[in-house]
Amino acid sequence: MLTLLEQLDKGSLWQSPGGIHPPQLKTLSNQSAIARLPLATRFIVPVPLVGEQATLSVGVGDKVLKGQSLTEGAGFTYLPVHAPTSGQIVAIEQHATNHPSSLPTLSCIIESDGQDTWCDLIPNSLEQLSKLQILDKIKQAGIAGMGGAAFPSHVKLNPASEIDLVIINGIECEPYITSDDRLMRDHSDEIVSGVGVINHLLNPQRIIIAIEDNKPEAAQAMQAALNRSNLPKGVARVTVIPTKYPSGGEKQLIQIITGKEVPSGAIPAQLGIVVHNVGTAFAIQEAIYQGKPLIERVVTLTGEQIGQPGNYWLPIGTTVADALQSVHFIESAEQKVIVGGPMMGYALAELDVPILKGTNCLLVPSHNEIAADVDEKACIRCGECAVACPALLLPQQLFWHAKAEEYDKAASYNLKDCIECGCCSYVCPSDIPLVEYYRVAKSALKIEAEEKRQAEQAKIRFEARLQRLEDEKNAREAKAKEAAAKRQANMKSTDKDAVAAAMARIAAKKAQDSAASSAPTAGSTTQVPQTVVDPKKAAVNAAIERAKAKKAAQANTVSDDEFDKNTAEVNVDDKQAKIAAAVARAKAKKAAQVNAESTVQTPNTAETSVAGTEPPADTVDDKKVRVAAAVAKAKAKKLAQAGQTDDTTVTTEPTTDAVDDKKARVAAAVAKAKAKKLAQANQTDDTVVAVEPTTDRVDDKKASVAAAVAKAKAKKLAQASQIDIGEAVSRPTVGVESTAEIAPNVALTATADSAELSPEQIKKAKVAAAIAKAKAKKLANSAEQEEQ
Amino acid sequence: MTSIFIAVAVLSLLALVFGVILGFASKKFKVEGNPVIDQVEALLPQTQCGQCGYPGCRPYAEAIANGDHINKCPPGGTATMEKIAELMGVDQEPLNAEAQSTVKKVAYIREDECIGCTKCIQACPVDAILGAGKLMHTVIAKDCTGCDLCVEPCPVDCIDMIPVETTLQNWDWKLNTIPVKVIHSEPEEQAC
Repeated sequence: MLTLLEQLDKGSLWQSPGGIHPPQLKTLSNQSAIARLPLATRFIVPVPLVGEQATLSVGVGDKVLKGQSLTEGAGFTYLPVHAPTSGQIVAIEQHATNHPSSLPTLSCIIESDGQDTWCDLIPNSLEQLSKLQILDKIKQAGIAGMGGAAFPSHVKLNPASEIDLVIINGIECEPYITSDDRLMRDHSDEIVSGVGVINHLLNPQRIIIAIEDNKPEAAQAMQAALNRSNLPKGVARVTVIPTKYPSGGEKQLIQIITGKEVPSGAIPAQLGIVVHNVGTAFAIQEAIYQGKPLIERVVTLTGEQIGQPGNYWLPIGTTVADALQSVHFIESAEQKVIVGGPMMGYALAELDVPILKGTNCLLVPSHNEIAADVDEKACIRCGECAVACPALLLPQQLFWHAKAEEYDKAASYNLKDCIECGCCSYVCPSDIPLVEYYRVAKSALKIEAEEKRQAEQAKIRFEARLQRLEDEKNAREAKAKEAAAKRQANMKSTDKDAVAAAMARIAAKKAQDSAASSAPTAGSTTQVPQTVVDPKKAAVNAAIERAKAKKAAQANTVSDDEFDKNTAEVNVDDKQAKIAAAVARAKAKKAAQVNAESTVQTPNTAETSVAGTEPPADTVDDKKVRVAAAVAKAKAKKLAQAGQTDDTTVTTEPTTDAVDDKKARVAAAVAKAKAKKLAQANQTDDTVVAVEPTTDRVDDKKASVAAAVAKAKAKKLAQASQIDIGEAVSRPTVGVESTAEIAPNVALTATADSAELSPEQIKKAKVAAAIAKAKAKKLANSAEQEEQ
Repeated sequence: MTSIFIAVAVLSLLALVFGVILGFASKKFKVEGNPVIDQVEALLPQTQCGQCGYPGCRPYAEAIANGDHINKCPPGGTATMEKIAELMGVDQEPLNAEAQSTVKKVAYIREDECIGCTKCIQACPVDAILGAGKLMHTVIAKDCTGCDLCVEPCPVDCIDMIPVETTLQNWDWKLNTIPVKVIHSEPEEQAC
């Protein structure tokens, strides 16, 4: 029993099943050497990978050189596309392509400049490059399988498994086509040197150059070249195989050479075999030794309608119309132009499409060569197709199911293993275009599989989305829970505030009671300063003192100049403080006016405190102290009134109450002021003051303070005016004047401040303005009353 | 007499042995869930469009397994309905929705009209719309199932459903649909 290698060396051949023997018709085109056609002016270079694996590296209007790469990209199966000649890119647009569908695909339209200038080429030798560099060079040259399928060659030259056998395919079994035949005859040495590169890369045990016996000249030329070459002896040999269609098919050729059958769905590399076309070997040699990218190929232009049939070097991107024009193409009615051979080729719908890397033949037959379409007749179940099928399929069964559109059943008869060779159609006595049915069925199955894949994808995405929504919901709930817990915690602290507020309220009530009870005694006292214990209280008291002093000073002079001076002295650095100060000022002024005109009793007591209390006023920098000061001011004014009316007693005990919470203290102070006012109100008239509402709003400290201050002032004013009415009926104009003066003042300061304040402060300013308005109204009312 | 006892004993023993085997098998080879649901779901087109009244294809598959009508899937069309009828062993029913055009479509956002409201993003069942608030949105065409759900919520009506473009990848070999000068692919015998 001989081993496979020995049998290969002996040239043993196996039978492949099926196959036909169509007329060859090769002599039409293989009589002359490969020629060149005049350079066309316009080239269409499709760049189908752009948008998927590649990007364009040129733009419209760019000048390109022959061999310049038009695309950049990455990816295992990415192949660059090169300019076939030098010239200018006049458009990058969707253009019909060389495909049975003629669907448009993105293409660069290059207008030749006629120079055909090469870009810089880098020739190398095998020794200079590592295997990876060689593979990269082959990839960058854009070399694809030249046999027709145009599969990227560098992928096949870099297999995952060990390669034992390389078959160089020079079979060219289709009728009419002679491009490989002529290439082997004219460029045998180059092909063999390309085979050397493949040998270097794959290092197989054997290389078989397979040629059909209808090409004896090519076989001789290749054998001679092989003998001349420096390939190791015994590795490579030329094997001539009998002519039969479709021996050139990859799987059929492997079966003939080795007797092995490539399993369904497998690739030859799994058997340790790789098949390359002779044209590919030639292109590899050009790429390595001359640095030329794959920009032209041999195309057989043949058929009786062509004046000069033969093989021509055509730049890839040459339009079919241009190529045919150059070889004196005679157009007849209903002319068919077939790309590829008569067995597997397809007719073009239009001629303005480019030559591609896999275009090996353009067949332009006359009506005598290829018969007109015949109507399909019923299948007579002769079984000829099954005999002819090289893939051992059951074409009849496939036909039934494909025709009935039961594609899944057709698939169960291994439709995917059909190589679309056309043998079954060729032998069919009923003229049934069987391959057409299979192609339709195949594409339907392909689309179905794609839809299934998309459905699977959609399902995965849908489930991922549901998962995401679920996660988001959980996260939201967790956050809400956390926030609730936080709120709970905050609630506890606000409870504390509430307690403090309640305490303040109690204190206020107490103050009210004491005010009411002390009213009859009518002994005005200013004991506050003496009871001060801690620094903070001292500050509060100091502020009170200051306010009193100021008021007193005003009361003394009753001049606007002095009033201004006083306010200027107050070194207030904070805006809020300014507002408070403005409010206080307004109040003070008003109070002073009232004092001056109604009574002169207070100056004595006020004067005494002026000197001692000025300094602290300058050092007021703490906010809270200022708030307290504002409150105190209100109180002070009240005191002044007390001085006027002589029948009110001011009790300042509540301030000294040891309420450790500051807010509570402020509230208490406010409450106190109100309480006092209430007491006064009780004495002087029937005005009802609601104490509770203001004290409830402990949380908005400043607002409530301001409100309390405003209320206090308003009430006081009312009282003052009432007292005026009671005491001196002869001074009706005072109220009116003060209204006129105060209202604008307060409004002005409020607006002036608000212009430069932040939103928070603006709010406060607004509160102040509202207070001022309220006061003004009250004053107006009182003035009216006076008039009456 | 003893032969009767032997027969009874042997049969009892056999019954016991088979009982144990069956009991083991019922535990060991227990089928979780209803396999029919998975089979039906595999037939549904997974557009997740909700036109059947269920929130997605799986819920509808479950409903079919529980005896719901099989004609509620317009994206699947008659072909899907027929396959489900075959699987479930029920009679075919005409689709209850108006005849859905068989052309596959994808959503397309006219991007200069998009106001960036994110409503379509929330509506998309397969997260095939990309964008953020107040920024332009766009559809990831390869992931779009053409379910139409994004068209309704768009406040500016800038979403179109456009048919999927035929490319070389998804072109199906139907020679009659394209204007090809058809040739006969075999040379005549007398031509040689």
